[in-house]
Amino acid sequence: MNPALNQFKKEIINFYLVSIINIVFAALAIAFGICYLITAVLGLPLDLGIPEFRMFTGAVAMICFGLGLSWFFSTIRVFEGIGTIKDILCASGEPITEEGITCLIVRMLAHYRDNRKTIGTMILVSTIGGCFFFVLGIATSLQALSLSPSGITFTLDNFLVIPAMFLILGIALASLLSSYYFSKFAKVWDRRLHEIEESECALKKTLGLDEA
Amino acid sequence: MTGRRTVYEIYWEILVYCKSPRSFTGIINRCDLNSKTGQEYLEFLVARGYLALVTEGEKTVYHSTPAAAEYIGLFSSLYQKLFDATPEFKL
Repeated sequence: MNPALNQFKKEIINFYLVSIINIVFAALAIAFGICYLITAVLGLPLDLGIPEFRMFTGAVAMICFGLGLSWFFSTIRVFEGIGTIKDILCASGEPITEEGITCLIVRMLAHYRDNRKTIGTMILVSTIGGCFFFVLGIATSLQALSLSPSGITFTLDNFLVIPAMFLILGIALASLLSSYYFSKFAKVWDRRLHEIEESECALKKTLGLDEA
Repeated sequence: MTGRRTVYEIYWEILVYCKSPRSFTGIINRCDLNSKTGQEYLEFLVARGYLALVTEGEKTVYHSTPAAAEYIGLFSSLYQKLFDATPEFKL
């Protein structure tokens, strides 16, 4: 197999997997955001003595819900283009011609240029989302919280803490990991875009455009 | 093909597509161009000798010339070389 095709195929499949993981965790983030928002509004099962704390949990849950939605739709947009390219690359049948490989590379570059800002946003949203989910996990695990001049006292409910913390920590971790992989992907493709700009001189020369 | 492409990518796409004689409408549809910009690209490629206008009956079609092969080859090698020079993305 053509080494360029081999590497291109591997990269697209890897990025496709990262996108699928993102979609799953973004959907979970939306679900948890709604769940904690309702819990905070109704005050169940949290028996918090301080209404401000419920409001705080509700606000964090609302932010998480918003971030989850943004994360989900951004991933879907990027995923659609990648999915089409991956399907062509993985389709069994006739081997891909040299022109076919170049065509897919051009297509991927066009898709990357179109979604460069979205990927940048995803990196930011995933990082912020990871942090907010961590805060949400801790906040909803608190059974009671009291503030006094001598300090802060809080009680954790073990039944809520263990499963909730694991799930929320999982989302937070997936969020931060996806941010890392998207940054890595963006770095590689930005470098390729830069290299293309540099190699345009040769194409210009061939087309006779560098006479001026 | 849709999406943000450079002029060189559009030239390449037109030349590859016109390896078989193609009509103006076919080219602009395939390359996702509007008629004004499509006309400009085709005029440029005809002027540089990469495309030839061929009359087939009542229709006029565009056909890539042997000179286009040099551009197509260079373009393909430059784009495939991108995967030799840069570090790959992996999990």
